[in-house]
Amino acid sequence: MLTLTHILLLATALFCISVAGIFINRKNVIVLLMCIELMLLAVNMNFIAFSHFNQDITGQVFVFFILTVAAAESAIGLAILVVLFRNHDSINVEDMGSMKG
Amino acid sequence: MESDRVIVVPRCLLRIINKKMFELIVFYIFAALLLTSAVMVITMRNPVHAALSLILAFFSSAAIWLLLEAEFLAIVLVLVYVGAVMVLFLFVIMMLDINLAKIREGFIRFLPVGFLVALVMVIVMGSIVGSGIIEPLLEERVYYGPGFSNTQHLGQTLYTDYLYPFEIAGAILLVAIIAAISLTMRARRDTKAQDPNRQVAVKRSDRVRLVSMKTEDR
Amino acid sequence: MLIELQMILPEIVLMSMACALLVFDAFIPSERRHLTYLLAQLALLVTAVLVVASFPQITEYAFNRTFVDDPMSGAVKAFILVITLFIFFYSHDYLKEHGILKGEYFVLGLFAVLGMMIMASAGSLLTIYLGLELLSLCLYAMVAMHRDSPPASEAAMKYFVLGALASGLLLYGISIIYGISGTLDLQEINNYILYNSERLPMLVYGLVFIIVAIAFKLGAVPFHMWIPDVYQGAPTSVTLFISSAPKIAAFAMTIRFVNDAFMHLTPEWQGILIILSILSMAMGNIIAIAQSNIKRMLAYSTIAHIGFLLLGIISSQSVSATGVTGFADALFYVVTYALMSIGAFGFVILMGRKGHEADELDDYKGLADKNPWFALIMLIFMFSLAGVPPFVGFWAKWFVLKEIVATGLAPLAVIAVVFSIIGAYYYLRVVKLMYFDKPVSMTAIKATQTMRAVISLNGLAILLLGVSPGLLMTFCIEVMKL
Repeated sequence: MLTLTHILLLATALFCISVAGIFINRKNVIVLLMCIELMLLAVNMNFIAFSHFNQDITGQVFVFFILTVAAAESAIGLAILVVLFRNHDSINVEDMGSMKG
Repeated sequence: MESDRVIVVPRCLLRIINKKMFELIVFYIFAALLLTSAVMVITMRNPVHAALSLILAFFSSAAIWLLLEAEFLAIVLVLVYVGAVMVLFLFVIMMLDINLAKIREGFIRFLPVGFLVALVMVIVMGSIVGSGIIEPLLEERVYYGPGFSNTQHLGQTLYTDYLYPFEIAGAILLVAIIAAISLTMRARRDTKAQDPNRQVAVKRSDRVRLVSMKTEDR
Repeated sequence: MLIELQMILPEIVLMSMACALLVFDAFIPSERRHLTYLLAQLALLVTAVLVVASFPQITEYAFNRTFVDDPMSGAVKAFILVITLFIFFYSHDYLKEHGILKGEYFVLGLFAVLGMMIMASAGSLLTIYLGLELLSLCLYAMVAMHRDSPPASEAAMKYFVLGALASGLLLYGISIIYGISGTLDLQEINNYILYNSERLPMLVYGLVFIIVAIAFKLGAVPFHMWIPDVYQGAPTSVTLFISSAPKIAAFAMTIRFVNDAFMHLTPEWQGILIILSILSMAMGNIIAIAQSNIKRMLAYSTIAHIGFLLLGIISSQSVSATGVTGFADALFYVVTYALMSIGAFGFVILMGRKGHEADELDDYKGLADKNPWFALIMLIFMFSLAGVPPFVGFWAKWFVLKEIVATGLAPLAVIAVVFSIIGAYYYLRVVKLMYFDKPVSMTAIKATQTMRAVISLNGLAILLLGVSPGLLMTFCIEVMKL
């Protein structure tokens, strides 16, 4: 039978994959943005699982807002990416070592 | 004889598989699909492939959300995420001419670190979450069942109890519009559009210049 | 409903004026852009007046308890608005000088202030999250606003990725807390913890993620890696913004979490914060010594000050049990820090001119010969940041240390003093460069009369608050009374 723990473990695994993705793809900003989307997906999964097993709609309301904010966030992230590309002809953050420290 | 057997097997299965079991099987299928596609997102060589894997991940989580009776959000995830956000991603990937060889440079170098981090996190977080101490507040699992409108329920809560956050979300979307436009919109300098206002306002002195020259000797 | 609307009147006014400004700015010619700036200042002023006029005496809730109006939120909002008045003034000067004056800058700035106000009076985890995102999204865009500057876009990208990561961690923590307690309301979570102590381990699991996210947003070590790069790469006007008002809002957010929701988990979060605080003071003060760029140096100085601010948050809790101060010393610290920080970065703006940022320490050599008055003001900022009496920075540190000792964490106070003394070195080095070194170039400093007046006012405020800190401290104690 499907239990809360099943879903929470799935969300945890997804969360860890996305964090690993952020570590691995440090040089590739566009995949970094996708990893952030994955991370939010894991969190949403948590909220929906709690909402279902606690029979409380609030969790779904929160997911609604996370989806809204995440859409806004990716729009701004991609806009910054475009500006970055225009300035550097590359989307490689580590390469552009104008700053050290 | 052959056709008989084909019918017999599902019957046997049906006897074993009740509704709850079926739910679990569906969950495992989509969970496996979700995790596979998530790993593909972070390891694909080509950003376009990564984006497509992410779309698959969104579809499989939408399926799991349907199992959890979050119908509205499952559909929103497909419509808004796959339909709009991922298209935006693909649009940007294809607009920018990305040098694939260059961005893969660090991949092998960071792979062990990333793998180690993920492993440690999975073990620590998984052992906490998986130990089952997070229990639902309800004793028994309740289903809303058919005939219950998830959309209506969500909407009623959203527009009454969560009115103030809803307005803030509006402000956030407005900020996203302002930011995205002001960061990426550039006035094109090479257009040949006419501005009648300036054409009419032209004075003689703007166009004609009288130059006094010495008369040339013959 | 009407009463509820009345309670959020300052927010409504600010938002409508920001929207009106956005439309207005689209229709005016670029040579009259300073009108946008003036109207933005007007919006801040009107909102500040409304906040002060409706200053709450008791705690009230609105909109299904997603909005809370208490003395702390009123005070924090008022401080944020006043600090932002200064920020916009310095920003306008900087943007005009460098030829990147855009109306969107001020519109986004107003929305950022709105986000901070929402954070300050959040009654539920959902409102905290949304306010934080509204603030962060504006800041990401403002860092990248100078589109032709490669370091700025690089800084924006780093800020964005790490900020989004922090939001993800925050959300994971929130989801766990929500799942266990079944509510998003801070007060109800507090009650839940009080009556269900057997579920403590799981709540701590969620709390750890939330604290890590707060550390990310504040810039506490080991989650500080974005601060130096963003401070250095962003236009100085944006650095000035990031380093001041959002810190006050982050303080308010931290109090909402640790006091309103997790008051009964005090030993748990205190333990984590003590480690973060010691690391921040150590790393910030020691690495700052090695910097040759003043913006980067001030970035590490911010990290060190965040360590001190965390000390204030750690200390106040146990004292509040006796009903003495609450988090007053931390509020005093963060407000005065914001005032000093805008002064120091404002000075970097004042020294710069078109095509030259004046962000290298060498630019400050021999300033006393060129312009003794400016050198004196910078001396005030540096001494105050270092914590030299009689400036206000000294009192801020003094109050925090006193509380820490009163809490019974005297060794922590000793560590803080040692690192403050190490930290004094790099502030005093700037003073030494100004007074005892030969200038590299004799280019005179150009500054408008108003710029001179405002930066002098800023320095004077620090001096006056240092001479009589009692007034502000009494106010802080009053609003933080629990």
